[in-house]
Amino acid sequence: MVSQAVEVIQYRSLIYNLVTKDLKVRYKNSVLGFVWSLLNPLLMTIVFTIVFTRLLGQTIDHFPVFVMTGLLAWNWTAASVASGTKSLIENAPLITKVYFPRIVLPASVVFSNMAHYLLAFPVIFIFMLIERMRFTPWVLYVPIIWAVQAIFLIGLTLILAAMYVYFRDTSVLVEVGITAWFFLTPIFYRVQDVAPEYEQMMYWFNPMASIIAEQHTILYYGGVPDPLFMLRTLIQSLVLVAIGLLLFNRVSPHLGEHI
Amino acid sequence: MALRENGHYAIEFQDVSRRFILHHERRSSFQDWFIGLFRPRGQAEEFWALRNVTFGIRHGETFGLVGRNGAGKSTLLKLVTRILEPTSGKVRVNGRTYAMLELGAGFHPELSGRDNIFLNGSLYGFSRKDMQRKYEEIVRFAELERFVDMPVKHYSSGMFARLGFGIAVNMEPAIMVIDEVLAVGDAAFQQKCFRALDELKARGTTILFVSHDAEVVRSFCDRAALLVDGHLTDIGPAGDVVDHYEQMLHTGDQPFRLLRVRALDEYRFATEEIEGGQPLRLEVLLRVPAGRDTSGLTLQIDLDRIGGTNLWSTSCALPAELPVAEHALRRDEDDAPDTRVARLLIDRLPLGRGQLRLVASLHDPAGQLIDRTETLVTVRPTNLAQSGLLALDHTWEWEQPAATPADESPARIDSLPR
Repeated sequence: MVSQAVEVIQYRSLIYNLVTKDLKVRYKNSVLGFVWSLLNPLLMTIVFTIVFTRLLGQTIDHFPVFVMTGLLAWNWTAASVASGTKSLIENAPLITKVYFPRIVLPASVVFSNMAHYLLAFPVIFIFMLIERMRFTPWVLYVPIIWAVQAIFLIGLTLILAAMYVYFRDTSVLVEVGITAWFFLTPIFYRVQDVAPEYEQMMYWFNPMASIIAEQHTILYYGGVPDPLFMLRTLIQSLVLVAIGLLLFNRVSPHLGEHI
Repeated sequence: MALRENGHYAIEFQDVSRRFILHHERRSSFQDWFIGLFRPRGQAEEFWALRNVTFGIRHGETFGLVGRNGAGKSTLLKLVTRILEPTSGKVRVNGRTYAMLELGAGFHPELSGRDNIFLNGSLYGFSRKDMQRKYEEIVRFAELERFVDMPVKHYSSGMFARLGFGIAVNMEPAIMVIDEVLAVGDAAFQQKCFRALDELKARGTTILFVSHDAEVVRSFCDRAALLVDGHLTDIGPAGDVVDHYEQMLHTGDQPFRLLRVRALDEYRFATEEIEGGQPLRLEVLLRVPAGRDTSGLTLQIDLDRIGGTNLWSTSCALPAELPVAEHALRRDEDDAPDTRVARLLIDRLPLGRGQLRLVASLHDPAGQLIDRTETLVTVRPTNLAQSGLLALDHTWEWEQPAATPADESPARIDSLPR
């Protein structure tokens, strides 16, 4: 595992180039391309706000900020999981022609979606300013949450990418799974309001619930984060990475013939 | 082949085999597994793309690989480049490798030429700084100064090839692996590529080269190997191996042909380095058309010095039926096993360091020459205390066991075979 880490560090410029490639292609090499890419979360926020506050009578104040915080973090996860799963198969022409540490492929998917997320993140601040919400110094704690989410996503995509090599319908399951997971994550509702008895269980079994809840604590409620809360999620994520590496390293030597 | 000096070789294969399992009914989804729960699994067939391949490529050597389609050339290259792992045996590669298995592998169509240069460099583990240093030279070589900011999807195939090749030759790899990629582009560009490869050669780059065009291998490579159905059936000077390959391809007008004479090591692998003072095994591969027998033919073997001095010759009338060569046994049934072998064992080769020419010739009953083939081998001394043309077993008198009475002669030449 140490030699693997050394190798990945040697190939860090590959990760960097894959991430910038992805962003360039996504934004079509222009600033307006980036602005355009913000349309999706903005429109979704508007849709959620209308549906939940007008039609369903949701009583959460500053609803756009509440939804936006969860939605952006969720989009990072959903996009990483969906394309991370396929990252090995879709790069088959590369894998059968060049040797490089294969782990770079799912990792760069997570990082490029992270870059996209971080570029969009300031929109939350703009919404907070519009809603005249309070900024606390604890905003500086948010990068720790980002790091935990990145580790969690790397673990998850490693497992799914390895599975997808042998089971091509993994992507179908992932699609269904993402939809279910979206509804089971408190993005457009508060667990306390809906099912307070499940709140603790949700934090234990759904790292995304913890990650979003902690961002709500800091940005939406202007409260103080509990370090132990993120520590637990971090440990869960590291366990996931360990499992992911184990699985991925069993699959990756055979990639040359299996894809 | 005993590969003694490890640092000596840039690429080293030791008894390498690679198997592929072909499932006729491959389970590649959860659905397949579910359906397959109550259904017996279809027969899996195994296919050996490479069998017990042992050879070494020296540092700074240009080495060609020839063989028919499906002989295992691509598998061998993928083992060198770590894309595949061997089923058994060991592959050792000493030095940074750049593989051109396909021009433009790893290019992203939406990105500009410039971005693709950096992306491609990083695929091979080069840092941004490395690439900034090489960038100008790559663009200059590829003659793409005007187009470097254009997405490569708008490039012509020639521009694509120039960019891919420009990157490759500027990576300064210790080992360069090239598969069939020089066929693209116009004649002028091909010439430029070969000039660039000559420069790499001059700088000491080890080049492993695969081409269907055997003549390119002959003119460009120092040594070559021939793969037949996954077996390394020949290795030696490029010209000799290409001759062998071409003999094998063309069933000429002559019914009988000599495909190859070669030296074998103690494990019966083809070798070009033999040891003086040790037994020498020679093998002659002949093409005998189906239904013909070899009675009445005479096979002659000559061992010559490079200058042409004949050191030794022997000839023998062939039996009616010669054994079929091992690699020919595995062929499909419609392809009759027409490659036969004749082997010669010399108990002890009493030669010192130097080059030796092995010549095999086939004569008809009237003594007329039918075909002739030859190869060069290097003789390495086992006993470094000796020098000169010959390697003679000898014993100094004082080395005699005490029990044996001293001989009259000062140093007795021990002529007993070992």
